[in-house]
Amino acid sequence: MKTAFKLDAHPRRPRPLLSEPPAGYFDKLPTKIMARLPQAEAPQATSRHWLSFLSPAVRTSLASVAVLGSFVASFYLSGSAPLVPATAPTAALDAVPRTELVGYLLTSGARVENSDLALLTANHPGIAKGFLQVSEDELNDALDAQPSEDATYL
Amino acid sequence: MEDHEILTKFQDPASRNLAFNQLVRKYQSKVYWHVRKMVVDHDDADDLTQDVFVKVWKHLENFRQDAQLFTWIYRIATNECLNFLSSKRRKFLLPLNDVGAELAAKIEADPAIAGDAIELKLQQAILRLPDKQRLVFNLRYYDEMPYEQMAEVTGTSVGALKASYHHAVKKVEEYVTRNTED
Repeated sequence: MKTAFKLDAHPRRPRPLLSEPPAGYFDKLPTKIMARLPQAEAPQATSRHWLSFLSPAVRTSLASVAVLGSFVASFYLSGSAPLVPATAPTAALDAVPRTELVGYLLTSGARVENSDLALLTANHPGIAKGFLQVSEDELNDALDAQPSEDATYL
Repeated sequence: MEDHEILTKFQDPASRNLAFNQLVRKYQSKVYWHVRKMVVDHDDADDLTQDVFVKVWKHLENFRQDAQLFTWIYRIATNECLNFLSSKRRKFLLPLNDVGAELAAKIEADPAIAGDAIELKLQQAILRLPDKQRLVFNLRYYDEMPYEQMAEVTGTSVGALKASYHHAVKKVEEYVTRNTED
């Protein structure tokens, strides 16, 4: 007759016999988790500045356009021939109201990459000067407000 | 850092990330092993543990503090495990026993258990329990969790938990006895 197994008589382990996780797993896990957290919403605007009402994506796009535009402008003003002569499409683009631009950028699925902006301003050198009117300080504030993608945590 | 400090700092956006990092470091091991005991596989446990803490982040602001913080986190982890195991069955149209068999195969393949025949049978017996009963067994046998706390974690009455554990122990003992050579 078999000896009945009694759980109480069996040495109780703190956990089942399972292999340990890889070395350093618990050191790295917090970083992996923090990287997966949803981006924090933009802080409540304390200033009435118009920039604070735009989403981070729009602010980043506008800041990128301003930086690219400054490069294009300096190249243009240095006396070099324009890469592409200004044509009617440039004028048409310059006439696009800022609100429409913001609305387009806010459209779900619309993604403006830096390469798009570079192409745009290369083909239409005057576009940045046409609708962007922010000071350097405002641009710096907008850039500083952007969360760093590589933020690490204590 | 004490739980009340973590919760206070979490309410402040300026210290939220730091507070949450402290919370993760404080409870990551307990959550991981609670999950690992249920799903066995490390990679699955890793994914689920991360999912648990992401959910904690999303809902911690609304935590009513009518239970201990860890009990609340444990409850999230428990639901994630049970949902994962249910989803596995639905996805692969696996009956109850097959998922248990799959988990048992992972246990057998685990190098930590090599050579310990009784422990292997014990683990096989535990893995054959229904998911919720196995959960109760793990919480009581391995974590020595009081039934009152277990009731908060599982949303089940103390009486039902005691009955479930008693039956689980009987099943485990019968299985090991039947499958162990003299």
